[in-house]
Amino acid sequence: MTNEKVDVVIVGAGASGSVYASVLAKAGKKVVVIESGPDWELSDLISSEIWGRRVKPAGGPILLEGKNPMGYANQAGWGVGGAALHYFANFPRLLPTDFKVKSEHNRAQDWPISYQDVAPFYDKVAREIGVSGDAKAEERWRPAGEAYPMPPMKTFRSGNIFLKGFEASGIPMVPAPVGMNSVEFKGRPACLYDGWCHVGCPIGALANPLVTYLGDARKAGAEVRALSTVTRILTNQAGTRVTGVEYYDDKQQKQTQEASVVLLAAWSAQNPRLLLNSATDKHAKGLGNASGLVGHFMMTHNVASTWAMFDEDVQNHMGTIAVQFMSYERYAKTSHPGAFGSSFVTAGFALKTSDLANSRGDLFGPELADYMKRAARNLAGIKTFGEDQPEMENRVELTSAKDEFGMPLAKLIHSYGQDPLALWNANLEEGLKIAKASGAKEAWSARGGAIPTSHLMGGTIMGAGAGDSVVDSYGQSHEIPNLWVAGPSIFPTAGASNPTFTIFALSQRGAERMASQWAALTN
Amino acid sequence: MANIGRRGFVKGATLGALAFTVGGAEIIMAAGEARARGVPFRLLDAHQGETLEALGETLVPQARESGIAHFIDQQLSVPPHESLLQVRIFNFRPPFAEFYRTAIAAVDEGSHKLFGRDFAQAPAADQREFVDRMRQNKIEGWTGRPAAIAYAVLRADAVDVVYGTMEGYEALGIPYMPHIPPEKRW
Repeated sequence: MTNEKVDVVIVGAGASGSVYASVLAKAGKKVVVIESGPDWELSDLISSEIWGRRVKPAGGPILLEGKNPMGYANQAGWGVGGAALHYFANFPRLLPTDFKVKSEHNRAQDWPISYQDVAPFYDKVAREIGVSGDAKAEERWRPAGEAYPMPPMKTFRSGNIFLKGFEASGIPMVPAPVGMNSVEFKGRPACLYDGWCHVGCPIGALANPLVTYLGDARKAGAEVRALSTVTRILTNQAGTRVTGVEYYDDKQQKQTQEASVVLLAAWSAQNPRLLLNSATDKHAKGLGNASGLVGHFMMTHNVASTWAMFDEDVQNHMGTIAVQFMSYERYAKTSHPGAFGSSFVTAGFALKTSDLANSRGDLFGPELADYMKRAARNLAGIKTFGEDQPEMENRVELTSAKDEFGMPLAKLIHSYGQDPLALWNANLEEGLKIAKASGAKEAWSARGGAIPTSHLMGGTIMGAGAGDSVVDSYGQSHEIPNLWVAGPSIFPTAGASNPTFTIFALSQRGAERMASQWAALTN
Repeated sequence: MANIGRRGFVKGATLGALAFTVGGAEIIMAAGEARARGVPFRLLDAHQGETLEALGETLVPQARESGIAHFIDQQLSVPPHESLLQVRIFNFRPPFAEFYRTAIAAVDEGSHKLFGRDFAQAPAADQREFVDRMRQNKIEGWTGRPAAIAYAVLRADAVDVVYGTMEGYEALGIPYMPHIPPEKRW
């Protein structure tokens, strides 16, 4: 079945797709957003870790391989809001050095834009959806910008208790910027600090897409088609333009949605999967893939977790899942000798019972029961995110296995190189020193099992031309002008900061570009 | 919410507890209550249920009474996208029942080699030793997913039923503070 042609069809209703939908619908464009998961409402967001799993994929279409597979299902979204429905809303930003890794260190590649190109959009996003934090305090490490629209969030003993140890280690900590309301903002209430952010905030204190961009997009007329799965991007006979998408609707009927522009906003693994599955005789390697780079340079942060048990009650049930304090003091790429890459240091966050149990995965039986009682009062943590380096062999590729719609599953192959591994170890060692200097009765590094991973980036990286990248800095395909890609898949390097603030900022920049260039784009 | 068609998706706080079949009717109750009332398993056989209870109790005290086998059984009986099991987060591909069947078989096989009997029939000290070997991937001849992965998944299930509920928080003295509480306090 073919639907009436629209201006833009957006694949994915997560962070990046929602920004585009909002900007373009407000600009008067007819927008259809196609989302594979349900159309969640705030009332669906039950305060339970068990029930909270519903907003994540079940048996996602991505198979995991490599020495350090990415924790895909736990990180991904399923349904409107995408992963940003259950994200932690940590809003650090990339720093100028992230955009110039090749120029400054002769590694990886530069972004085709600088920090200054993105900075106005960080400020704009903060004004639009609300960020709490202390910009002045951060500016000891980054160029000055606008103040955040809300003061920092409250802090709790689970974060404050580490400040002495950080000071002893020469690491200044400042209030962490978060996409949460420390005070009422644009009619959305202030946070209650009950720590249920990660299963979805139903009061709207956390800036998820439902209460920000996607809500705005719907008000401006954008249509969202939930439980609908896009399987191919369609092109004209010459292969010079995309004409729409093929998808299976909520009744699993095959449909076609024609559009003047197609935007892929389905996260870093799905975007390349769709491009690769849309190969034609004119694009034998997949759409936008003349360079052969679609699916390559997949990156994921490693997480160095340090746990500390104190004698006092640290109120670890209070607060948010986002962090209370952060530091860019170890962000310089050469901060740790022999371990190239940035580190983003954080401390203090609310814990749920699964967090308590996971902090000592080796314990079971009566020892676990005893530990849970102590951890419920006395446990707190430090987490340091380490940069991954873009490697060609870390990739998404199609497999011979198929999903329920006959679309090939993808496999995501990821292994850390020497630098990210060395960085993880260095951050664990430093975290342990800080915890001990903070007066912890016991402190240990989370080294057992697989290296924890967080965030997914790369796969359709931006660059100056088709020789070294898939899209330009706005997300426009180098080869097909009305095919665009949004989200962390366009990051050519990962930095160490949580990516969503940058995803919002780049999407705002790209969407405004698309709207302003509409005539040229569609003729 | 959009028309969900054949997927029949469970959604909404009113379905915040598990539906068990009792006398042909579906009744909403917590997993521990289902066990206490002797609700028949939907997919597991009695031996599989007994083994899951023994594994769960070894991993997390009170998992048996909290209904770990009924929880897993009920969750395996619903479509994968409705399942709340940790295997979902571990990125396993459906059907999830395959993992549990394979793990239970591997546990019994290993238990026979080590102790000459099914895991569920082994003394508590042997069960503990076996689980500790699972944790370290030290079960000779183990087949299927690595034993340490099975340990992690089953431990997470046991943590769910003992500590993931409102009662579990209460038992630890942790204020639950829900925005939208799960129905039936679970």
